[in-house]
Amino acid sequence: MVMEEDQKKFVIPIGPQHPALKEPAHFELTVDGETVTGATARLGYAHRGIEKAVESKNYTQALYMLERVCGICSHVHATAYAIGVEQLQDVTAPPRAQAIRVLVAEMERIHSHLLWLGVAAHEAGFDTLFMFTWRDRETIMDALEALTGNRVHYSANVIGGVKFDVTPEHVTSILRAVDFLEERTNHYMDIVNNDAVFLQRTRGIGVMPKEKAEILGVTGPTARASGVTRDLRIDAPYSGYDNYTTEMILDDRGDLEARFAVRVRELFEAYRIIREVLDNLPPGDLTARIKRRINEAETVSRIEAPRGELFYFVRSNGSDQPDRVKVRTPTICNMASVLSLAVGHQLADVPMILVGVDPCFSCNDRMIRVKRSGHDHELFTWDQLRRYGIEYYQRKVR
Amino acid sequence: MKIGTIFEDVIRSLFRKPATRNYPAERTETPERLRGQLVFDAEKCVGCCLCSKECPANAIEIITVDKAAKRFVMRYHADRCVYCGQCEISCRQGCIDMDANQWELAAQSRQPFEVYYGEEVDVEQFMANLAGDSASDDKK
Amino acid sequence: METLTAIVALLLFPGGIALIAVGLLYKWVNLKLLARAQNRQGPRWFQPFADIAKLLAKEEIIPDGVNRRFFVILPTIALAGALTAALYVPVFGVNPSYSFSGDLIVVIYLLSLLTLCIGLAGSNNNSRFSVIGSTRALTQLFSYEVPFLLAMLGPALVAGSWQISEIHDYSAGRLLLLSQPVGFIIAIIGLMGKLEMPPFDSPEAETEIVAGSLTEYSGRGLGLFRIGQGVELVIGLTLVAAFYLGGVGNPIAFVLKTLGIVVGLAVLQALATRLRIDQTVGLWWRYGALLVLAQWAVLIVFRAV
Repeated sequence: MVMEEDQKKFVIPIGPQHPALKEPAHFELTVDGETVTGATARLGYAHRGIEKAVESKNYTQALYMLERVCGICSHVHATAYAIGVEQLQDVTAPPRAQAIRVLVAEMERIHSHLLWLGVAAHEAGFDTLFMFTWRDRETIMDALEALTGNRVHYSANVIGGVKFDVTPEHVTSILRAVDFLEERTNHYMDIVNNDAVFLQRTRGIGVMPKEKAEILGVTGPTARASGVTRDLRIDAPYSGYDNYTTEMILDDRGDLEARFAVRVRELFEAYRIIREVLDNLPPGDLTARIKRRINEAETVSRIEAPRGELFYFVRSNGSDQPDRVKVRTPTICNMASVLSLAVGHQLADVPMILVGVDPCFSCNDRMIRVKRSGHDHELFTWDQLRRYGIEYYQRKVR
Repeated sequence: MKIGTIFEDVIRSLFRKPATRNYPAERTETPERLRGQLVFDAEKCVGCCLCSKECPANAIEIITVDKAAKRFVMRYHADRCVYCGQCEISCRQGCIDMDANQWELAAQSRQPFEVYYGEEVDVEQFMANLAGDSASDDKK
Repeated sequence: METLTAIVALLLFPGGIALIAVGLLYKWVNLKLLARAQNRQGPRWFQPFADIAKLLAKEEIIPDGVNRRFFVILPTIALAGALTAALYVPVFGVNPSYSFSGDLIVVIYLLSLLTLCIGLAGSNNNSRFSVIGSTRALTQLFSYEVPFLLAMLGPALVAGSWQISEIHDYSAGRLLLLSQPVGFIIAIIGLMGKLEMPPFDSPEAETEIVAGSLTEYSGRGLGLFRIGQGVELVIGLTLVAAFYLGGVGNPIAFVLKTLGIVVGLAVLQALATRLRIDQTVGLWWRYGALLVLAQWAVLIVFRAV
């Protein structure tokens, strides 16, 4: 029996206000029944104009403004900016300061991944895991509060080093927190890999093979879950990461289950790095001297944020205010993959795919000015752009 | 593939005390490094104004009462402050401390968020000057 | 006199107000147990009452473009269906006020009436989320209804009657849970499906379609739907306890047995992730129906023997 029905193409809006999103964004999904046939996104609801605002502040003030681009990954923003400004002056932070930066960065990675695990479980409907992971996240938040003075926005960096020191009491309390969390993470590893009902929501969903991941330009754990071997802590170590052994966590399945597994394994890696840092804290000062007026120069600094590659461009013009700071966060690289993967999946899978790339919408919003016809413009092909980038970096050989 | 992997945790949680903290009935100890509200010791201040220059939120104003005798008054906008702690580091005399015990800062009006620090006499005179200025403005 | 007892039975006890109050109380027990299973504190005992009181007092906003009469009357029909079902079921351990042969089917239909009303309410609205929620609610209705009904009919088969009070008399003193374990498990899980508890809460998946069919409801309509869901909880629990756990002869047995089932439901809710709607349908038609049919085959063979 042939039934003729007119294809009712529904447009389901997810956002800007939606229980699935923790921050505002607008996704328009065209569905046919329960299958998604098209997806577009409109971002920019959390744009605050920070890049413009720092042009009228001095370097120290800009540090704190840039730290507040995001709440979850605040330390990496501040670190990237501080490293950038130090590069402008050809100053490196002393080894103890670099070690403390690595320590706080890894603790932030733990807090961010536990937060993400809870939110992803909540999107799947697994509220129990959400409650348990957020309860355990309180342990690392307490450790961060005791060490830095605040639970989010640690303000650990100053330009030239860090603000505070690590005392032996902090070392014992952090190690105790890490031991407790490692035992709990074993439970979560078990659930993510073996729970039959949870796997029904994650196995085989949002499969992104390695070639597609490279074309779409995803970074961070999302890319490593598809087998792309890119981790800035190993490829381009910064802030003393080459003193510690960091292992690249890869998975070749490329589906949601792989992304879960990669992030939980990164948690174990972070525990290991923290123990290594605390065992080998080098002695020394906490800051290096740096002038107020920075010479004219421009530089680039890249950091491995919990979500991927964070990219900062800092340009100075000789005064004590930065000329231009450009921030490119990893979420905006990963967002295109969400739109491309959502097509063909069921509606119920789209929040899971979205949360699988660990979106951070506050980091997300950029303003790009596109020059239309009538102005001079340069067109780069993909090969030309690659060649330009390679030559640029080869010129900056240290 | 297992079913109900979280079973033991759930059963154990049923018999354990909940992890909810009963604030405000119970208050936990705050760590000593917690960045609470700013506290300023006017006696040590030399008037370099580094704190106010480096504050990202323009929350600190240093008002000179008598430069030679080193008497300064600080007007601190607690509602603009982002509690970053840069002022604590910038001040080389150690005048500024982010007090770890003052973190319950909610108020029902704007007035508690403008805090004046300094010698009693100076602050009173400054407030009187302010009131005098605004009164004369009104007369105009 | 009979009219007076009828009115009291309908409005006060064991139907009506008492049933609504107990329904909300059981909802609270479920919430509290679920919270404790998640290591949280959970709400205080008056939370569902406070919610309903607040909802009934708020303004009801009727969106544009809906059929106003349907919008307003569907919550009332849903609640009425649930309350009527209480007349034939031994709530509170007292004998049902009315019973006639075949009232098992009527009760199950009346319980489904609530889900049907939710589905209709969803499709009545213009909002995308409501339409999808309504589709999912009705799809889920078609999927768990057959296994649940067959699981309920298992005790009917051995008791030789389709009348709830007679089945109740038969199962009092006999733990049918032991002789029909598969039926009991299917009944419990079917109850979770009927009440849209996780893992079967796809029709009201909060993170995908806001609130499903009830997205556009507010105020009185939403309050009535919520009361109806509470009443449905009590009636479902009573049925399962009456059939499988050896009958609910007196109020104390009623309270103990239904609370026992609620504990099991809370633990099961805490353990599972939400299933997609196609996975729910697949699960029920593949495993649920087959298992309960196997149970039936065993029963028929034993009866013939």
